[in-house]
Amino acid sequence: MQRLRLVAPLFGLALIVSGCATLPPESDPEARAEFFERNDPIEPLNRAVFAFNEAFDHLLFRPAAEAYRIFVPRPIRTGIGNVLDNLLVPRTAANQLLQGRPDDAAQSVVRFIINSTLGVFGIFDVASDMGIEPRFEDFGQTLAVWAGTTKGGPFLMLPILGPSTLRDTFALPFDVALDPWTWVGQGDQVRALRVGRTATQAVDAREQFIEAGDALRAQSLDFYAALRSIYLQRRERDIRNEGAPQVRRFFDER
Amino acid sequence: MRAHCRTLLGAFVACLFAASPSLANDAPASAAAAFIEARGAALKEVLDSDLPASEKRERVASILRDAVDVQGVGQFVLGRHWRTASEANRTEYLRLFEATLIRNLSARFGELKGLRFSVVRAQPRGEDGVMVNTLVEFPGQAPAQLDWLVSFASGRPLIVDLVAEGTSLRITQRSEYSAVIQRGGGRLDSLLDAMRRQLSALEQKELAQN
Repeated sequence: MQRLRLVAPLFGLALIVSGCATLPPESDPEARAEFFERNDPIEPLNRAVFAFNEAFDHLLFRPAAEAYRIFVPRPIRTGIGNVLDNLLVPRTAANQLLQGRPDDAAQSVVRFIINSTLGVFGIFDVASDMGIEPRFEDFGQTLAVWAGTTKGGPFLMLPILGPSTLRDTFALPFDVALDPWTWVGQGDQVRALRVGRTATQAVDAREQFIEAGDALRAQSLDFYAALRSIYLQRRERDIRNEGAPQVRRFFDER
Repeated sequence: MRAHCRTLLGAFVACLFAASPSLANDAPASAAAAFIEARGAALKEVLDSDLPASEKRERVASILRDAVDVQGVGQFVLGRHWRTASEANRTEYLRLFEATLIRNLSARFGELKGLRFSVVRAQPRGEDGVMVNTLVEFPGQAPAQLDWLVSFASGRPLIVDLVAEGTSLRITQRSEYSAVIQRGGGRLDSLLDAMRRQLSALEQKELAQN
């Protein structure tokens, strides 16, 4: 037992060391510049985690998303998605406040009140029709605003959760704390609701990514590298709030 | 009379000069929008037609060659490895790059039939050119915003990038290609091999579809 306690951290250290990407020699400055620009120092370990995530996605996640699409009709999925989006609005408002944008935070509060009442617990996105469009903020973006840079440090591939950076990973627990629903209610039922919400959120997000994900995988020469690049570019856009707001539709327009 | 004429002429010339800066700002934007509109319409006409697949592919290829700065984008995507590549490798790379671009469309002719698109607006992006925002609707899917970066650097409008949901295609492709080369021990050949494999996979898919 004593020996195991000694071996475990050593093993962990060995794993980290073997999971490090090698820095190109100084004789090749361009390769070095590329290495720092890529900023993925534990790439081999990240790729191993990615392989696990891919298997998880293939066996469980994507089938669940497909079943969701097959068994739950589109208008109901949209309603569920709207409820989930609405639940995220208080957290967004808190982060907008922390980013020093009280006007946007006020808009979010108004949006939340309108959709929770007129929109029947958020099922109908009435606020978007009134011109208050959906915005999403998380603590990772807030940290980026505070730091004044879109660069979030070394790239990390988290088990199950997927692509991230050191900064965004550090921000995750704060987002849980900033979400008011973390602090409301207690007991097994509330806990079950919370788990259900997270699971539905994951399946909902995956369902929307089915076609795009398949197309990306089919086109990619290196799926991991493509996802890494896309994640970093999208985070940059989200930090700068340059994305077009996405409103869910109940039916196809045609 | 003469004086009058001169003032008129002066006013006319002054107007011309006053007007030219705003023309210079607006002209590329509207030219880029019209360019995307026209190329898109031409592409849509071919995609919706009932021509045999090989004929369709030929026509799509000629539209792309005319509308996209294939060599410029190909060089950008290869990045620092372009400079160290041999002449033969450069030629082979550009051939594969163009073929992949075309096959990526032709392997999806079925899905692309009946797509609708509209130009939303065009915004100047300084030296880079003009970003033209379009809304593209694939049958049965929510409309997606696709942005086309049109450059006038060569003297005529050419597409140099495609941006979807905040993701630049050429930047994504560049980091992907550099990862393939890096994992292949820094050899360009490993990328060329991967591109050849991808191309033959796309050809298989196209054959299976038609």
